[in-house]
Amino acid sequence: MRDLFRKIRKTGRVAQDAPRAPEPVLPERARDLGGSVQIRHVDAGSCNGCEVEIASAFGPVYDAERYGARQVASPRHADALLVTGPVTRNMEMALRRTYEAVPEPKVVIALGDCARNCGVFAEAYGVVGAVGDVVPVDLEIPGCPPEPEAIVAALRGLTGR
Amino acid sequence: MTSVAFPAALGLTLLAAVAGLVLPRGPRRVTAGVLTAGGGAAAVVAGAAAMRGGDWSARLPGLLPLAGARLALDPLGGLFLAVTGAVAVCAALYGIGYTRHGGLDGRVPQTMVPVFLAAMTLVPAAASVSTFLLAWELMALASLLLVVAEHRSRDEVRAAGLWYAVMTHLGLVVILGGLAGFAAAAHSESFEGLRAAADGLPAAGRGAVFLAVFAGFASKAGIAPLHVWLPRAHPEAPSHVSALMSAAMVNLGVYGIVRVGFDLLGGGAAWWWLLVLAAGGASALYGILQAAVAGDLKRLLAYSTCENMGLVLVGVGASGLFAVSGARALSALALTAALLHIVNHAGFKTLLFLAAGSVLHGTGTRDLDALGGLRTTMPATTALFGVGALMASALPLGNGFVSEWLLLQSLIHALPSGGTLTAVTMPPAVAVVALSAGLAIATFVKAFGVGFLARPRSSAAERAREAPAPMLAGMAVAALCCVLLAISPGAVLPALARSVAVAAPGPDAVTGPVTLHLTGLAGTMSPLLIAAFLLVAVVGLLALLRVAATRRTARRRARLWDCGAGPMSARMEYTATSFAEPLQRVFDDVLAPETDLDVTPLKESAYLVNSVTYRTRVGDRIEHRLYRPVLTAAARAGEAARGLANGSVHRYVGYGFYTFTGLLIALAVIR
Ligand code: SF4
Repeated sequence: MRDLFRKIRKTGRVAQDAPRAPEPVLPERARDLGGSVQIRHVDAGSCNGCEVEIASAFGPVYDAERYGARQVASPRHADALLVTGPVTRNMEMALRRTYEAVPEPKVVIALGDCARNCGVFAEAYGVVGAVGDVVPVDLEIPGCPPEPEAIVAALRGLTGR
Repeated sequence: MTSVAFPAALGLTLLAAVAGLVLPRGPRRVTAGVLTAGGGAAAVVAGAAAMRGGDWSARLPGLLPLAGARLALDPLGGLFLAVTGAVAVCAALYGIGYTRHGGLDGRVPQTMVPVFLAAMTLVPAAASVSTFLLAWELMALASLLLVVAEHRSRDEVRAAGLWYAVMTHLGLVVILGGLAGFAAAAHSESFEGLRAAADGLPAAGRGAVFLAVFAGFASKAGIAPLHVWLPRAHPEAPSHVSALMSAAMVNLGVYGIVRVGFDLLGGGAAWWWLLVLAAGGASALYGILQAAVAGDLKRLLAYSTCENMGLVLVGVGASGLFAVSGARALSALALTAALLHIVNHAGFKTLLFLAAGSVLHGTGTRDLDALGGLRTTMPATTALFGVGALMASALPLGNGFVSEWLLLQSLIHALPSGGTLTAVTMPPAVAVVALSAGLAIATFVKAFGVGFLARPRSSAAERAREAPAPMLAGMAVAALCCVLLAISPGAVLPALARSVAVAAPGPDAVTGPVTLHLTGLAGTMSPLLIAAFLLVAVVGLLALLRVAATRRTARRRARLWDCGAGPMSARMEYTATSFAEPLQRVFDDVLAPETDLDVTPLKESAYLVNSVTYRTRVGDRIEHRLYRPVLTAAARAGEAARGLANGSVHRYVGYGFYTFTGLLIALAVIR
């Protein structure tokens, strides 16, 4: 316990300074959400590269939580779905059901090139299509994988903070 | 009133026994059942009349050889008689439907239920040692025959019967020893004579008498560590008999302790009551812990009986301690709480055992892990069990709450006034009552939630059918009594005060029809107002939520969230075992569960698992540690003694010859 406190004191603050707030991307949704977005992440078949970047975006350095974005454990608690990877056959039904389970009003974010247009996995035998082919997408974050800065910026566009 | 109703009760039950014995199978069940219920109702009337002060006594000199039978009813005996009668009414009505199947409509079970009831009405009415012991033994034998009624269908019944037979007779032996010694020293065997002579006896003698009868009565009441027969016998008996045993018979153990300890021996030393208090506390905790982890519905209820009788004894012990230290009002309050708890426990335990019987009748299983989903197939039983579970949980709206509140009040208020002894004993006693109340909630949430709600966990539970009308009627009567006791205990408390006064004379401890006031202490409570307030609060909150939820957005029907994978199966549900697992882990050291994990790898590689077997069992640790060694030693002694009897006739003739000669020589030397 003492070591922990010492470490906290020695390390100090590692989070980057917050850049200026970007313009809200979905102004009418942002008003509904009131600056706080609860996010459920669905891995629809990603290579896990995107996951690493998401973890980093919510880590201490980029700290997306200070802008009002938070990851939650169930779609029932969520305002937004953060979907990564191309949608594989095995995840198609699960993605549809997860989308159905999110209460209205909801936002779907397609994160990474795979989620946007199947990326390097386009036309692979196990792939059904991009996220947009399965559920309606509101926001896209390009990159393979997108950098944490890009993820944070997109989320800030949603929270408006 | 008593002089008519009590003989009527006995007469009707004996008539029922005759009907069970001689009538052909067709009308036997209904006739015996109705007559037994009538006998129970008459017993309620007789008991209530005795509680209102209609003392009654009778001497039947010719009935028993040498001593004759003496009967007398005072308010204390009346209370136990009324409780027994009320339980019998419910159980007999229920039995009409329940005994239709499974060979329970045979002569023996149909005769023995009324005989059992008759014995239980005689015990609190007995007024001499011989009458009491005779009724006590009759009660034990009748219940033993009922416990083994289904011995053909299950092996466990036989083991349960054996345990019960041995334990109850060991209990009889110590009670017999204690009371016979008492009667010899008092030169009288009538209770009046004993009462008069008790003061003249030496303290050590009285202590020995109390110790002996306490051991015997505590075993009947299912007090740890003498409880081992109870969680075996009560579940294996037919369910209406389980109700009679668990709600009426165990009470008589407490009756014995109160009657002999307070009334006949006239109080006694502080250590008696400390012993009672400690045994009660230990039993309450051990019982409820075992109930919390039990997976068998009826075993759970049986352990809950151990717990509740433990709580009653906490009250009785506290009352005795207060009486010794001269705190009359507190003593009366503690005993009122204990006796009220007996009444309440009888109510909800009857209901719960009968409902458990309906489950067994409808599904064929008592295993909670194989039940579930009965809400749709057995709605009436589910509702009734729910009522019983609420009553047993010691929460407001339940009748157990009222008596446990009174008990806690008496224990807490003892602190400022009492000496060092109460200052040391009361805080742990309060903790025990509070902890057992908390665990009881978890236990009954488990029993109700896992057993009745959610989805069926087996095909047996899926095919459940609702109980027939007589069974529902029996349960409904019990539920009604419970609800009345829960919202208006003020109706029975004045009558109870007279019963208390027999043992702990003093002013009424609790007064007031709606709001209960404690005499001489600062404490009031109104179960009726609490119930009304809770009802208004719950309905109001639900209405508010409904309004708040519909105001903003339209409702949408969504599928049950199942993590996006296929439909949820019953295997994903909480089971009784998994629900109790955290508790089991916390109380690991007390319960000592046996778990064993068997992993069989594939032949090709040790890293590839072929099958995993996981077994867990929570045995009765007291039985394991205390009784098993004795039993093994006895078995070993028996084996060794076999060498004496090897089947040779010469040897047996030799034994006879040498014993006889030895005796003659001994006589010649002594004379
Ligand atoms: S976008 Fe790139 S990093 Fe993300 S899942 Fe596809 S391949 Fe992996």
